Amino acid sequence: MDMLQTSIDGLMIGSTYALLGLSFALVFGIMRRINLAFGACLLFGASLAIYLEPILGWGAWGLFFVTIVGVALASAYVERLCFAPHSKRHGAVTAMIASFAVWMQLDEISSQLLPQRTHAFQGIEVPNLWWGEVFVRGDQLLHFVIALVSILVLYLLLYKTRLGLLIRATADSPETAHLLGARVPWLGFIIFLLAGILGGLAAFMILSADGYVTPLFGLWSTFKGLIAMIIGGVGSLTGAVIGGLILGLVETHAGAVLGAEFRDMVTFGLVFLVLIIRPGGLMGVKIYRTDSLAQERV
Amino acid sequence: MDMYLASVLTNMTLIAFLALSAYLVLVVGEVSFGQQAFFGIGAYITASATALAGAHVFWGLLAGAIGGASCALVLGLLTIRLSGIYFAISTLCFAELLRFFLLHLRFTQSVDGRIIGPDGPEGFSNIRWIFENNYQVTDFLLLAVTCLIILLIVLFSLERSPIMLGARMVGNDPILAQSQGLNPTRYRLSFITLSGAVAGFGGGLFALFNTHIEPAMFGVMLGIHGLAYAVIGGLGSAIGPLLGVFLDIGLLESIRSLAAYRMIIFGGLVALLLVFRPEGIISPRLVSHLKSRWRNRHV
Repeated sequence: MDMLQTSIDGLMIGSTYALLGLSFALVFGIMRRINLAFGACLLFGASLAIYLEPILGWGAWGLFFVTIVGVALASAYVERLCFAPHSKRHGAVTAMIASFAVWMQLDEISSQLLPQRTHAFQGIEVPNLWWGEVFVRGDQLLHFVIALVSILVLYLLLYKTRLGLLIRATADSPETAHLLGARVPWLGFIIFLLAGILGGLAAFMILSADGYVTPLFGLWSTFKGLIAMIIGGVGSLTGAVIGGLILGLVETHAGAVLGAEFRDMVTFGLVFLVLIIRPGGLMGVKIYRTDSLAQERV
Repeated sequence: MDMYLASVLTNMTLIAFLALSAYLVLVVGEVSFGQQAFFGIGAYITASATALAGAHVFWGLLAGAIGGASCALVLGLLTIRLSGIYFAISTLCFAELLRFFLLHLRFTQSVDGRIIGPDGPEGFSNIRWIFENNYQVTDFLLLAVTCLIILLIVLFSLERSPIMLGARMVGNDPILAQSQGLNPTRYRLSFITLSGAVAGFGGGLFALFNTHIEPAMFGVMLGIHGLAYAVIGGLGSAIGPLLGVFLDIGLLESIRSLAAYRMIIFGGLVALLLVFRPEGIISPRLVSHLKSRWRNRHV
């Protein structure tokens, strides 16, 4: 019974990791770039929401919308300043370091907005569920559903619309897409906005489930997103979702069996093993073998 | 010299070792998020050697460098198939695992009535070498700068040798390098090992200077800073990373009056700088341009 309970908790947390992983996979899969400032954008959005909350007075839904808008704005800013100028093939490391500089900047702005170490973060109130002996937190169940719905919406966007077609064409080959008339730089901007919206959703869900924000949230969410992406297989969107769920399951089980202290280390150990034994992750094997991705410089 | 200035300069010198080690990995075309672990291992080994075993500081620092190099070699061998983002993330994981090991390392001893040695998350306190030998901050600065200059001389003589030329070639295009008869794997392994040695040595000096070290100091933020210094300064020459360190710590210390907002200003400035000089300040292109001008003048 404990196993079942832990697994359900893991899946609930894993669904938010899946969103973090998806944001990374969108940016890396399509633009071959790593946005180190991703977590800082999330922190910025959450800080802005808490800062504006007493002024606007919209309660939990206000936090929800301001967080998403704040993260999307920060993400767009990062794209303009750090990624748009370095769109050439060899600009990857430079873009990553520029995003690191902006990470520092956003961190500082967030700590100006929220001067204390921890701030309460209100969630949406939902009654909890008991299902025999299995307990499910109402808000986490709601988050799980929101995560599934947003993954579905992303899927429809990418596979059923013209914009999605353009994005997928760019992912396959930016040069060809450009020759066929796609506005590749503009698509990059759209992708960062999309990643920001997904990240904002994940940030709201994680923080309201925890009930508080600390300045460490930024680094933490960057790690989780990167790891979920790697476990699933770099560049694969399906992989990122599965990777996020696996990460949630592994973390909760490791935490239950070995204690909270070992939880993160089990994750890092797992990722290291995945990388050295099966570098393409779960889904990305084909990508790793056939694509030039594996040879590409970061 | 002013105590404060001297300690800022010493910190800059110590971080320069980390930046140079990140530079050595970047030269062979890889990005490492894990140099801070070798820095930390070096710090722990040097601290143990001098404070616990009572070894001479020279042997302590040498042991730190060798420790850093061997950890780096292990990482290099494990990740021999990986490159790009795969390599970068695996260095991050490796570094966090090493830090976890340090977090659980407990080996305390009582020396002269003081409890010293690594003590889990509390870290390693009472590294008293600097007091026992009556080193002032300025004396230590002199020691650290001397070590850095020796390292720079070694790197500059490397720069003129075929080794560095080969490494840069491997970094630019491994397949092309292979077709020219170079062995990319061997270059990668030896430069990663060398970078571990440099980081470990710097870590040893860091332990001696700080007199207290703890695993939390060697988190991933430290490593990314080192990496950023190398990229901002430029990969054209070993002076690049030093310039990066100088810009960051030097400028940050000089605008201390704006303490609360300095990262906001500075982060934006660095991002803007990279827009105008994407290959860093001293880029490989700038170096080769200067070299050719220098040659033309002396023909």
